[in-house]
Amino acid sequence: MQVRILLVEDDERIRQALGLALGDEGFDVEDASSGEQALRRLDNEAFDVVLLDLGLPGVDGLEVCRTLRSRGDLPIIVVTARADAQDVIAGLEAGADDYVTKPLMASVLAARIRALLRRRGPGRAGDTLRIGDIEIRTQEGLVHRAGAEVHLTRTEFRLLVELAGAAGRIVSREQLLQRVWGYDYFGDTRLLDVHIRRLRRKIEPNPDDPAVVLTVRGAGYRIHT
Amino acid sequence: MRRISLHWRVAIILGFGSLLVTAVLATATWNLASGYMIRQREGSAVRQAEVNVRLVEKSLDSTGLDELLTGLTTGPDSSILVLRPGNLLTAGRPVRVDDLPSRLVDLGREGVAARQRTVVKDLPVIAVTMPVANSVYVELFPLEQLDRAFHYISSLLIAGTVASALLGAVLGSWASRRALRPLSELNSAATRIAGGDLQARLPEQGDPHLATLAATFNSTAEALEQRVRRDARFASDVSHELRSPLTTMVNAGEVLRRRLSLLPGPAGRALELLTSEVDRFSRMVVDLLEISRDDQTDDRTREEVDLGALVRNVVATRPQLSEVPIEVSEPPVVVVADRRRLDRVLTNLLDNAERHAGGPVRLAVLRGDGVARLEVDDAGPGVPAELRERIFERFARGTRGGESGSGLGLALVSEHVKRHGGCVWVQDRDPGGARFVVELPCAG
Repeated sequence: MQVRILLVEDDERIRQALGLALGDEGFDVEDASSGEQALRRLDNEAFDVVLLDLGLPGVDGLEVCRTLRSRGDLPIIVVTARADAQDVIAGLEAGADDYVTKPLMASVLAARIRALLRRRGPGRAGDTLRIGDIEIRTQEGLVHRAGAEVHLTRTEFRLLVELAGAAGRIVSREQLLQRVWGYDYFGDTRLLDVHIRRLRRKIEPNPDDPAVVLTVRGAGYRIHT
Repeated sequence: MRRISLHWRVAIILGFGSLLVTAVLATATWNLASGYMIRQREGSAVRQAEVNVRLVEKSLDSTGLDELLTGLTTGPDSSILVLRPGNLLTAGRPVRVDDLPSRLVDLGREGVAARQRTVVKDLPVIAVTMPVANSVYVELFPLEQLDRAFHYISSLLIAGTVASALLGAVLGSWASRRALRPLSELNSAATRIAGGDLQARLPEQGDPHLATLAATFNSTAEALEQRVRRDARFASDVSHELRSPLTTMVNAGEVLRRRLSLLPGPAGRALELLTSEVDRFSRMVVDLLEISRDDQTDDRTREEVDLGALVRNVVATRPQLSEVPIEVSEPPVVVVADRRRLDRVLTNLLDNAERHAGGPVRLAVLRGDGVARLEVDDAGPGVPAELRERIFERFARGTRGGESGSGLGLALVSEHVKRHGGCVWVQDRDPGGARFVVELPCAG
């Protein structure tokens, strides 16, 4: 089945060029020129991925991102004009799974989208992982904490599975970036840092004093078993 | 000849001036004091001699004169001589008539009382002569005590003069140092600005003269800083505005490139040229944005980075480098740095080696004296000595052939490394090629 992408971008020329190039990559690309239009289309149609420019007029990209995240875990890749820390981090904090900066190339974007869609697939064949009172059913993609279901985005879920699968061993940042985001260029740890923060908020009893996902300075992260 | 510094000149002048003043004062003091003391001593000697002479006169002809004279001497160093016609009586320290100044004895003989400061048999004395009836009375009063006092006073005056000269020099040195302190602050601030720290300012000055200078300096520095920032922001804004059209161009180019086979002949070649230049343009803008961001923002994301692991990670993303030997010293070399920037440094050095020298032939992470050292070796043509600084400048292109880079790769390396308090340079490699060396301060 063809992957359906909603491209939210106010610059008409970019919309057209990216639409053509992503079409060449084999995606079914629909577009929206504003936040309002995007939210309207998302109400009525099903999409697999949203490509969201953060610098939209009217309802801005961050707002759209937060609204979408509150509705579910539809994969979101934000497109930022500036690679400044605040912009990227704000997008990730608002719930984006990944980000790209302009000028972006359709081929790079296609690789990101594919990596993102792969995250839903089973990490480890059908087993159930347990960390304390947290239960991860990798097959169904469900996480329960003390019996109650915890809603994770697919990126957060994949991150947790990678950490839990290591069973207390340290997983380096590079390994996480590669396994979860499919990055072959290591570097931007902000992506990882923000996702770890989001994950902690959902599964830690006290996110400010993590007891499950532990930081190992200068090395990476590990699960407290 | 090098001029003596102002600081030393002030010290010398003050030292010399104070030497002059105290020397004059000391000389005057010496003259007044010694003159007064000698006159006092002479007066008392004459008075005593007069008393003695009256006693001697009474018993001039009696036989007890000898005992009287012995009794009159005031100490072992004083002498009394009575020159009588035909014989000479002496008491105290033995002295012959020849030892006395002849002019003095003559005056006595002529019946004139006289006194003279002189040295008799190595002893400084006041010789007093007076006529007694037909004889001449001569008494020698030793000046040893007075001499000791003179010695003491003169030592004191000389020591005082020297001390005051030294004090003057020290005072001058201290005062000039104090007076010049704002100047050295100015110097260090100017040096910092010249070195690229545009935020260097002078502290507020209490002195009205210095306050004006400091205010002028600070406002100049402020204007300079704003100007530099404005220029940097302009470059950044331009690059930023180019992002949107570039996104369109790059992606339209991708679409066209896929259909290159549909455009044979000159149109196809022109399309190839166009798309590859668009890609280069895009890289240039990305690098420009990164370099102008460097100019404007500060680091907040420093962490401990294992340099060896970083090199292995970056190399692992380039399959063509799998055969390149990597030398990493043990224990792990750790630096406190922005991981993303270090990645960029290594990536750009590797790109540079691939672009100009057929790829790297050896990588090394070594530990030096408090520094971490990263070496990227290639076996290419090397970099001529006169270009070794220039290749790290922005858009220093055409230096090593090949025009596919952004012209900012090595400039970015240099900026990033500088930002981490390190340095980068290129040197010759044995047996041939270039070695790019990055040195960063070691953690801990």
